[in-house]
Amino acid sequence: MIAANALPNRRVEGWRWSDLSAALAGRDLPIIPGDRHVLARLAIGARRMAGIVVNAGETRTDIERVGGEGVDARALEIDVRDGASMSLVTIQQEGDVALAHRKVRLGQGATFRQFVVAGGAQYARIETEIEVAGSGAKVELNGVYLVAKGRHADLTSQVVMQADHAEVRQIVRGAARKGGRGVFQGRFKVERAAQKADAKMEHNALLLEDGAEVFAKPELEIYADDVQCAHGNTSGQLDEAAIFYLRQRGLPEIEARAMITRAFLIEALPDWLDETIHAEVEARIDAWLGAVS
Amino acid sequence: MLELTNLHARVVPEDGPSREILKGLSLSVPKGEVHAIMGPNGSGKSTLSYVLTGRGGYEVTEGAALYEGESLLSLPPETRAAKGLFLSFQYPLEIAGVPVMTFVRAAMNAQRKARGEAEVSAPDFLKLSRIAAQQLRIDPEMLKRPLNVGFSGGEKKRLEIYQMLMLQPRFMILDETDSGLDIDALKVVADGVNALRGPDRSMLVITHYQRLLDYIKPDRVHILSAGRIVKSGGPELAHELEKSGYDTVMGTP
Repeated sequence: MIAANALPNRRVEGWRWSDLSAALAGRDLPIIPGDRHVLARLAIGARRMAGIVVNAGETRTDIERVGGEGVDARALEIDVRDGASMSLVTIQQEGDVALAHRKVRLGQGATFRQFVVAGGAQYARIETEIEVAGSGAKVELNGVYLVAKGRHADLTSQVVMQADHAEVRQIVRGAARKGGRGVFQGRFKVERAAQKADAKMEHNALLLEDGAEVFAKPELEIYADDVQCAHGNTSGQLDEAAIFYLRQRGLPEIEARAMITRAFLIEALPDWLDETIHAEVEARIDAWLGAVS
Repeated sequence: MLELTNLHARVVPEDGPSREILKGLSLSVPKGEVHAIMGPNGSGKSTLSYVLTGRGGYEVTEGAALYEGESLLSLPPETRAAKGLFLSFQYPLEIAGVPVMTFVRAAMNAQRKARGEAEVSAPDFLKLSRIAAQQLRIDPEMLKRPLNVGFSGGEKKRLEIYQMLMLQPRFMILDETDSGLDIDALKVVADGVNALRGPDRSMLVITHYQRLLDYIKPDRVHILSAGRIVKSGGPELAHELEKSGYDTVMGTP
């Protein structure tokens, strides 16, 4: 337990690779007491908490841009009611400390789709907590993180399935350069009532240079007996044989590396992104690959 | 066009000791000629193709490799490619997320840029691609798919030759291009390769079997064994090998 106004440090499970206490040291931020998630309490303190209700049968798409000077702490509480559908795109850009928390509750047959692209900051954590309360709900959680020297990006998520026939798909891809730190923590909890759940989690990271760091903690916690649950987690380097193949065809080494890295990251972009956002994210990835090569 | 003199090279694995593979290989391929290299497993055929194209993990310890009078050995792979060196891989790599045409166009333009030439225009590129695909009987849909991902062995080999037709190299190394091909595919691929034969182009055809050489007729045949050329001759040497085996042929002085 954390005291009402204390912040979790790296000795606290879930914050080991993203020490919030250290990141906010010396900054006197208002934080409200209570049972809410620490990031939500910081967001309320900063008056950046918003509630979203998507009424039964309705569809909504939001685009959220996180980051900037100083500390940007914000939170969303999203209620996606029966048969409703919510899509959320989060773009985290440059900044000092970027904190975003969203808590999502899904009704029967509801859909929540999220795509996060994080360029990292001195400290950046985007945390998603999902409660699948209604049967037959669908969740898609995709993300890309790109961390260069001095940058940190943490994508943490938890999906708690409480009702039957949940369908959950998660694909997160990341790339880290020397001095950059990426963190992926994903947890699926399938409660006893969540029979026939079908959940897949995938996280893959590329360590582009020596001295790049990626920490991953995928967790499945299953209490129902008739479920399909799987996770895959890899982190590694670019395949030198593939790089040679591209260079043999005439691509300079830097371009060959960028081409393969780009293709790897693009695979985490969901097909529901609209064209403008898709193009923006691609441009962001290209700029990142070009700027730091 | 290509002059190899007393080439010694070793493979340097990331872990483990290095091993000498090429042990004094000498070979001359004049402009316009097709030479075949045959040899048993482990004789150094693939190492030769990698040393010539500049793959990492190989170290040349002695000897020279001149391409049009210029030493190749210190050049990066992409510079060699821009100078016209092309390797048709024995095992082409799968590149997820990169469509064939996107890749080939990027490669073509990178080579042109390195040579100080203008980029290929989109209509010109599509026209070249259509002609090459037709020649090799490649379904145009395949060219929109990620490079080699999920392609059969035969499809991958066809795609190597498609890239060759598109990039119009001047010195081609075909490493076991016949493996994985049935006889019909072999003919199609050989026709594609033969379309590139000309007075300004040379080829090194690396193969285990004589079969490919029925379709891509070599001017000279060399036998590689334990890292050296141990015997050279005309096309009849390949037939002799096929009939009597490496041991017998190499045993004859």
